Amino acid sequence: MVVVVMVAMIVIVAVMMVVVVVPGHASSISESAPDVPSWQPLGLHMALLALADRIDRLNRAVGRAAAWLCLAVALLQFALVVARYVFSLGSVWLTEAVIYGHAALITLAAAWTLQAGGHVRVDVFFERASPRARALIDLVGSLLLLLPFMLVLLWLAWPYAARSWAILERSREASGLPLVFLLKTLIPVFAALMALQGVAQAIRAADALSGRR
Amino acid sequence: MPFAEVLAVVMVVAVCAALFAGYPVALTLGGVSLAFAAIGHLTDAMSFGILAALPQRIFGVITNDVLLAVPLFVLMGVLLEQSRVAEELIESMGRLFGKLRGGLGISTVLVGALLGASTGVVGATAVAMGLIVLPAMLRHNYDPRLAAGAVAASATLTQIIPPSTVLVLLGDQLNIAYQAAQLAQGKFAPDAISVADLFAGAIVPGLLLVVLYIGFLIAVAVFRPAASPAMAAVEGQARTSIVNVLFAPVALIVAVLGSILWGIATPTEAASVGAVGALLLSVRKVPLKTLLRPAAEKTAQITAMIFVILFGATMFSLVFRALGGDDMVHSALTALPGGAGGAMLAVMFAVFLLGFVMDAFEIIFVVIPIVGPALLRMPGIDPVWFGIMIAVNLQTSYMHPPLGPTLFYLRGVAPPAITTRHIYWGVVPFVVIQLVALVVLWFVPWFATALPQALYR
Repeated sequence: MVVVVMVAMIVIVAVMMVVVVVPGHASSISESAPDVPSWQPLGLHMALLALADRIDRLNRAVGRAAAWLCLAVALLQFALVVARYVFSLGSVWLTEAVIYGHAALITLAAAWTLQAGGHVRVDVFFERASPRARALIDLVGSLLLLLPFMLVLLWLAWPYAARSWAILERSREASGLPLVFLLKTLIPVFAALMALQGVAQAIRAADALSGRR
Repeated sequence: MPFAEVLAVVMVVAVCAALFAGYPVALTLGGVSLAFAAIGHLTDAMSFGILAALPQRIFGVITNDVLLAVPLFVLMGVLLEQSRVAEELIESMGRLFGKLRGGLGISTVLVGALLGASTGVVGATAVAMGLIVLPAMLRHNYDPRLAAGAVAASATLTQIIPPSTVLVLLGDQLNIAYQAAQLAQGKFAPDAISVADLFAGAIVPGLLLVVLYIGFLIAVAVFRPAASPAMAAVEGQARTSIVNVLFAPVALIVAVLGSILWGIATPTEAASVGAVGALLLSVRKVPLKTLLRPAAEKTAQITAMIFVILFGATMFSLVFRALGGDDMVHSALTALPGGAGGAMLAVMFAVFLLGFVMDAFEIIFVVIPIVGPALLRMPGIDPVWFGIMIAVNLQTSYMHPPLGPTLFYLRGVAPPAITTRHIYWGVVPFVVIQLVALVVLWFVPWFATALPQALYR
């Protein structure tokens, strides 16, 4: 177990080195000798930024779609209240659907919230920090805090969801939704989306630090 | 002290230190805790295998039907913010009381209380009041410090006056801690404490704060009349009558709070009624097209933010417990002089200090699981009373310098004549009032416990 974590850390640090060092190298070449073509490192830099863009687009699309779930949850829950108090009707199926919507809302909107800067920070120093210092904090934070956390969660939640898929786990209630395996899958999906957004965050921070563009 | 416990202490210090770097709190909590789990595993202080419980814990959090009330209350607040209920309330209240000395300040407090009872989102209240009340107060020659302080403090009333998101989360965490405390005492059919208990318990202390704030403003009006002069003349024409303006928030309060307190509906059910009610009220004023997407997106982001902190805190408490931290806290608290009172005092002091750097959600998710089970095991500590003490204490954290979120919201919208110094000095008397309220609650727990007992026990 620990070995896996260690390997992941090493990979992460290696990626960090590449991201930070390569563009710096490229810019030093172009400064000292503008005639020397530096298309190859520049190409990697651009490819990484394109990757970050792609991740941003993915998470924005997923997050903005998931955002509508809060309205659905409110309306469905309200319908349940009306059904229960006015018509004395209940529906296990609908009750569970509300929970599914709520769980999906949280897990699918989280990475987009990170992208939009919606996760609170203790900003006593951050607020006053220079753009470079902020980029450094984001780079170190995404590589040493976010990615290990999310990769370990992904690695733990994968078998957790897989066990549920293996038996196509259904609700404990007889009339409940037979889709618990989908609900549990939200956790590895959350971890994967967050990890991707962490990669995008690291790339953008490294880009800002490299001083290019 | 065993090595594992040393590690647990170092972890708490490391988390606090890392938080200051400014990386998102939720991920800092999770990432640092993970690093300590790895260190603990390598040094045989704990087993990494304990983390296997993490997915099941997170699953429990996202399928918890009490916490389902959170996005619903947030949606309700966001919708009311966009439908400008706050603005209208402030305008008509100001017209009602403005001709009295100190009247504008008093109406600010009353509006804060009303909005608090109808939305539960501090940012919304602070921004609305900062935009409207502050310029009005300055125009009428209020002392800028008094104006800023009154607005900041009134906006934080949203936290304590139910229904509030903070009370929902606090109620959930307290219940878990309370169950653990009773199990540890060998009580295998433990009592529960519900969000409704906390809502009922918070009403009297919330009103107590309103009375204390108003008392302070009256005292200022009497002893330093120049600081809060009366409005010379009623300005502008009333767009809507006071009855009309009061209708929306009062109807929502009655529907939401009434149904919870009288045990008709669960907080989650009532929250959905509130959200749909707020939707209907907003639709009258803002076209559906421009209303829904921003409201849904803002609600989704606030909800995701809160729950991801909870994920990070889950990781933290899992590792903290694996390192034996909870036993350590228990023995440390019981070893304090003064028994339960001493332990309670220590916890309250710690929460007050943490309030300078963390906000309410983080403190609830990190501190309650650590100290709750130990503290609630002690004789004479009523869980509702403990919860309300924490809530009032946390409310203070929303306004005390330098990190109270309300102060930032206010800075963002305050007119240039109001400086950061004005805001910081302005909230000082109100922070003192909070402490007075805590002392009162300490000696008269009845304020917090009477209403829940009358309603539910």
